[in-house]
Amino acid sequence: MTDADAFEAFVRAHQDMVFATAVRLLGNVAEAEDVAQTVFLKAFERFDQIGSSPAAAGWLRTVARNASLNHLTRYRSRWRFFSELAGAEAEPEAAYETRLVADSSPAHAFERAEARGMLEQALRGLPEHQRVPLVLFHFEEMSYEAIASTLGVSLAKVKTDIHRGREALRRQLHGSR
Amino acid sequence: MDPADLERLIDRELRALPPPRAPRTLLPRVMAAVRVSADRPWYARAWLTWPAGWQVASVLALLATAAGAAVLWPTLQAAVNALTFVADVRGDVAETARDVEVATTAVSVLWRTLLAPVVPYAFGLVFLMCVACAVFGTALNHLVFGKALR
Repeated sequence: MTDADAFEAFVRAHQDMVFATAVRLLGNVAEAEDVAQTVFLKAFERFDQIGSSPAAAGWLRTVARNASLNHLTRYRSRWRFFSELAGAEAEPEAAYETRLVADSSPAHAFERAEARGMLEQALRGLPEHQRVPLVLFHFEEMSYEAIASTLGVSLAKVKTDIHRGREALRRQLHGSR
Repeated sequence: MDPADLERLIDRELRALPPPRAPRTLLPRVMAAVRVSADRPWYARAWLTWPAGWQVASVLALLATAAGAAVLWPTLQAAVNALTFVADVRGDVAETARDVEVATTAVSVLWRTLLAPVVPYAFGLVFLMCVACAVFGTALNHLVFGKALR
């Protein structure tokens, strides 16, 4: 197997995780694809060290998270501005259209999968100031304090934004059931 | 809903989400970018990817530059001081030249406006006074010493 083949296999193995990290933070598929490409280019430069390392996935995830946050930093002042303007009752853009039935039939499984897809869309539709800390907390397993430090905002604001984001997702969840 | 319950509910739901699939275009994009990156010469890539020998050489060059700067610093400082002195001297000369120019201009203006118009008359007056003195002296000489000689 050539280096190019090995790296292609490496990208195939990790691309979903890297893309998922980026798209949940950025909420935008095109930007997430750009960030994922950047992450894999960095990985290629260090492929000798990380190619066969068991820590490669963790390294990729960390780089993807930092690259996404750096990408957001370019728009940080706009983000803060709209964060202050945004009302307490910001709603996700996506809405659930299906009602789930509480059984274990194949139809239920299908609807459940569809609902999850909609939850993913609802998460991406959250305002940025709610989605980013929410993703960092639930997917990246960062503490409130670490999120506040990373984003450069107060601890109280992080807690408020995460709570409002959860409330918005809960309303969507209840609306779909 | 209690915040803790809400956190647990949302955490359970979000963690149950399957990771979004990367678009099919990502892999070809990455491989194309990797090919472009691989075609670049080594010195155009990140320093960490340079050959080890060149990394060592670049560090040594950096250290040599820093050491050279440290050694040459007193000389450089003396040169700067000398240049500063020359600049000060040049500044003084320039200032003096400016003063001279101002004085010359003032004299020139005074000459043209006040003195130049009366100079011919002054010379004429001086010439007449000289003539008068000569005539007076001759007359006096004739009267005084002429009688005495007789």
